[in-house]
Amino acid sequence: MPLLRSGLLPLFALLCLGSLLVGARELAWADILSLSDDAWLTLTASRLPRLAALVLTGVGLAVCGVVLQQIVRNKFVEPATSGGLDAAKLGILVALTLAPEAGTTVRMLYALAFCLAASLLFVAIIRRVRARSTVLVPVIGLMYGGVLSAIAEFYAFQHNILQSMQGWLLGDFSRIVQGNYEILYLVLPIVALTYAYAHRFTLLGMGEGMATSLGLNYQATVLLGLLLVATTVSATVITAGAIPFVGLVIPNLVAVRSGDHLARTLPMVALGGACLLLACDILGRLVAYPYEVPIGLTAGGVGGLLFLVLIVWRRR
Amino acid sequence: MRRAAGRKAIWAAVSAGLIALALTYLLLNAGMDFDYVIPKRLVRLGAMLLGGLCIAWSAIIFQTLTNNRILTPAVMGYEAVYLLLQSLLVLLLGTQSLALLGASGNFALSVASMLAYSWVLHRWLFRDGASNVYSLLLVGLVLTLVMGTFTQFVQFRTSPGEFSMLLGFTQASFNRAQPEQLLYACVIVAVVCAVGLRTLATLDVLALGRETAISLGVDYPRAVRLQLVLISTLVAVSTSLLGPTAFMGIFVANMAYALARSSRHRATLPMGCAIAIAIFIAAQLAVEHVFNYRTTVGILVNLVCGAYFLALVVRQRGAQ
Repeated sequence: MPLLRSGLLPLFALLCLGSLLVGARELAWADILSLSDDAWLTLTASRLPRLAALVLTGVGLAVCGVVLQQIVRNKFVEPATSGGLDAAKLGILVALTLAPEAGTTVRMLYALAFCLAASLLFVAIIRRVRARSTVLVPVIGLMYGGVLSAIAEFYAFQHNILQSMQGWLLGDFSRIVQGNYEILYLVLPIVALTYAYAHRFTLLGMGEGMATSLGLNYQATVLLGLLLVATTVSATVITAGAIPFVGLVIPNLVAVRSGDHLARTLPMVALGGACLLLACDILGRLVAYPYEVPIGLTAGGVGGLLFLVLIVWRRR
Repeated sequence: MRRAAGRKAIWAAVSAGLIALALTYLLLNAGMDFDYVIPKRLVRLGAMLLGGLCIAWSAIIFQTLTNNRILTPAVMGYEAVYLLLQSLLVLLLGTQSLALLGASGNFALSVASMLAYSWVLHRWLFRDGASNVYSLLLVGLVLTLVMGTFTQFVQFRTSPGEFSMLLGFTQASFNRAQPEQLLYACVIVAVVCAVGLRTLATLDVLALGRETAISLGVDYPRAVRLQLVLISTLVAVSTSLLGPTAFMGIFVANMAYALARSSRHRATLPMGCAIAIAIFIAAQLAVEHVFNYRTTVGILVNLVCGAYFLALVVRQRGAQ
């Protein structure tokens, strides 16, 4: 089992423990063991939900990245480099202006619809661009995302919500408390489904001709994959905000170690995503202690630098 | 003969359109107020003229050097370097950085850092050949994203006043140019153009590719180095005058090739400048009079030019 050999499990446990103990409010083991109400409240109402949200988001985004990479057949693609993230933002924005009273579920449905449409369009564009240079695909994706976010900014500027949009769309887990993150549990069935279909997604990565001749319904599988991706992205954007690069760095690192056989590597990808997010979150909580730096910034910085290293390294 | 006549007609139309746009911008709803409104607008118009010239000139030269029509110095990381420098200055020195360096000191530092970046670019691009252009483009784009998070991080470490100063650097606008800054920029651009105009013939030869240029007697490394220096200076001027403009250069350069109907730089460069200036004036007019300041020039330009870029990539690649 590559998962056991990879040493990810102890790292994950350690990070979870760290995430529970680090924070503006001192939390001592003695208080928890002596069942002090105050300490238990901090733990159950804030720390545990935050841990759960972090792990779920990390797992979801990393798995999302893998699925998208198999569909597009390009290692440099993930929601942030294919316009998916920007489309989800645009969807939330439209939901906020069209139906201001609607709840989280309606907003998520808008985000889902926009994200799915944008991903379908992106896949269509990439299929049209036949001469695939490996790095041209993410370049197109980033430009595409730029146009989508320019539309969002244009729209937000018209409705005078540009500033607040930039505030609440930056990935941030500090507002997560019991009761407002539960929609993230959607990630669990999605990951289970991805795992069940892992073999088919592996086949997708071999190209349309090969996949079809091996008996795969190509169109349906692509659609299913994009639907899974769009659901995860919209659920995470709506609870935590935009977190770039997680779905890109982790799958690449795992693929370098253990190859592309998804049924074997998916647990490592999931756990790796969770570990990266936990580490970025702890970093964000410590850099300006007792204040917090939003995880969108730490993940963007750490992930972006790792991505740059990957580009330079893959060129060799 | 007919081609030449057609070219002349296009030129006449473009210059007439440009003059009409400039006059509309100056006089629309100004109420002939020569004391306040029109001088203010003249300063902005000056910024647009200089900025448009810089963007078009640097984009066209850069595309000639890299022999690729979907690149511009702005997205290749030059702007990211500029923003990194500005946020580092604010982070390390605070608001004193302005007083300490002054506008011209800051400008000199920007040009120097972009020249250093040019040197790295030069080694990477021209050592291994054109296949790496896209990796470099990707690096530039990711660098821009990372810079974005970095400037936001600086926000957490600085006071609101310092941050608003930094924010001024990160958004495209014509309102920040001061008359004396315009004067400096004008002198620098004049020098660059004087040098650039003397090398127009060399540029035409460079466009034929490295081997051909060398066999035609051009000192290739030296010529490329000179042009990269010109590009860094122009990008530094335009970014410090207007802020980042990202895709604008691609759009301008490609329109210029189409309208000039010639690949001689004597024709394409002035055409590109005219188009860039016209776009700026039109966008500013739209912002001031159509959208009533409810959008910004940067957003409009990104929207139009980004969409054009996508169309260009899809069409070009699909046709192969």
